[in-house]
Amino acid sequence: MNGVPVRPADSPPGAVEIEKLTVSLSGKEVLSGIDLTLHEGTFLGIVGPNGSGKTTLLRVLLGLVRPASGEVRVFGKRPEEIARTGIYGYLPQHLSVDASFPATALDVVLMGLQGRRGMFRRSSREEKKKGEEMLLTLGMAGYEGHLFGALSGGQQQRVSIARALIGDPRILILDEPSTGIDVVGQEDFYHLLKGLQKRSGLSIIMVSHDIGVITAYVDEIACLNRTLHYQGNPLGAFNEEVLKGLYGKSMGILMHDHLCDKCERLQPGER
Amino acid sequence: MQRAFVAGIAMAVFAGVISVFIVLRRVAFLGSGISHAAFGGVAIGFFLGINPLSTALVYCVAVSFAIEIVSSKGRLAEDTAIGIFFSASMAMGVLLISLSKSYTVDLFGYLFGSILAIGSGEAWLAVSMAAAVILIFAVILKDLLFITFNEELAVVNGVPVRLIKSIFLISMAIAIVIGIKVVGIILISALLVIPGAAAKMLTQRLYGMLAISCVIAVLSTMGGLVASYVYGLAPGGTIVMVLSLFFAASFLAKILR
Repeated sequence: MNGVPVRPADSPPGAVEIEKLTVSLSGKEVLSGIDLTLHEGTFLGIVGPNGSGKTTLLRVLLGLVRPASGEVRVFGKRPEEIARTGIYGYLPQHLSVDASFPATALDVVLMGLQGRRGMFRRSSREEKKKGEEMLLTLGMAGYEGHLFGALSGGQQQRVSIARALIGDPRILILDEPSTGIDVVGQEDFYHLLKGLQKRSGLSIIMVSHDIGVITAYVDEIACLNRTLHYQGNPLGAFNEEVLKGLYGKSMGILMHDHLCDKCERLQPGER
Repeated sequence: MQRAFVAGIAMAVFAGVISVFIVLRRVAFLGSGISHAAFGGVAIGFFLGINPLSTALVYCVAVSFAIEIVSSKGRLAEDTAIGIFFSASMAMGVLLISLSKSYTVDLFGYLFGSILAIGSGEAWLAVSMAAAVILIFAVILKDLLFITFNEELAVVNGVPVRLIKSIFLISMAIAIVIGIKVVGIILISALLVIPGAAAKMLTQRLYGMLAISCVIAVLSTMGGLVASYVYGLAPGGTIVMVLSLFFAASFLAKILR
């Protein structure tokens, strides 16, 4: 496949190995012949237009969707064997939560430890302490008792990451994490992720529709539109052939960055 | 009258707990649908000469699972599936009742409640079932909240989602069946929704919601029973009217805060 690197036979197995994955949903082929490898400690961005199968790919890894054909191995095991063992930290697409839902920020963080703990055990003091520390790490100290639903989008995002990380996962899976967060918030968010990756060797798989922003942060990018059009260095994604294959038409590339003088950027304190 | 109080309070505590989750999970229509579908289950009992409450219990559990299956396999919105089973069950009930021999007085009791005529065996059965289910809820509480918060996340985290949802459905069916005795088929859905809704007006903490919901349900039941005794009113209707007044009060408390 064009642009997809082939793994030499004697290199160590990746954290995630996907071979010729095909997935059909409601009779329609959503993913076709996907070959993808993720090495441990890598930050992989998956981009593509709406309906390209990005979320489906994540759901296959999470064990929520069965492939029609192909092999998927996560640390050598099938997704359904390994998914519920706490190997994943998962941030689903931002779902709006009722502002008065009776869960505090700490309650939500501690949800990350449920399931594995078993139904009969309660949150121990150590677990609560760990939850508080996670909130501190994510810059949310003091918000433990606040209702999760009443927090801002960015704050909910931070609490959700704390929830995803409290179980010490090996792979963090994020589905469009920047939805509902402004540009400044997004950059902070990506810095945070990058810091986490460096500190703990966490593997990160992030689905985004925002090809420009994430290329600054990810180690590798995969361009997906039912098939894999490219996997590799982020800068290599910016060629016309890949983008045409991805988005279907000839496109010009419009790059925004925070120094762009055509965009107005408010300084803190300005309105 | 004592037995009525015992059974009524047991049902109220049970309804109070489950009502919070019915409101949070936004399944009030499901509760209402299964409550009315219970009429079909009661009618089966009449028709076959079996205790109508036991046939109602089995029938309610079956309908709640059937709704889930039809909605997911048939790719129907859940409220559509509920509407279908609700009306089909009532229709079946009407048919079976018309084919049964003697039913008039008994039927009235099932439709509108017959708490004052409850036997001591039935009262203690209500208490033990309520106690058992409350204990189970104490165990699944946090996981049920997690599932309500984000079901897919709960699945990925390893929470036994299907099991807990099944427990919830079965508990709801049991609450409905106990409630039929107290307030009748027509009004039981009020007990499943109003206490939790009133509690949600007053607090955003889970344990607070559960406590307030139970208190409101118990006070309404006791108050309704006393009022019905003193003034010779139908107990079921009186209980639900008191409950509605509690809701009105908590709603006012919320908007005037």
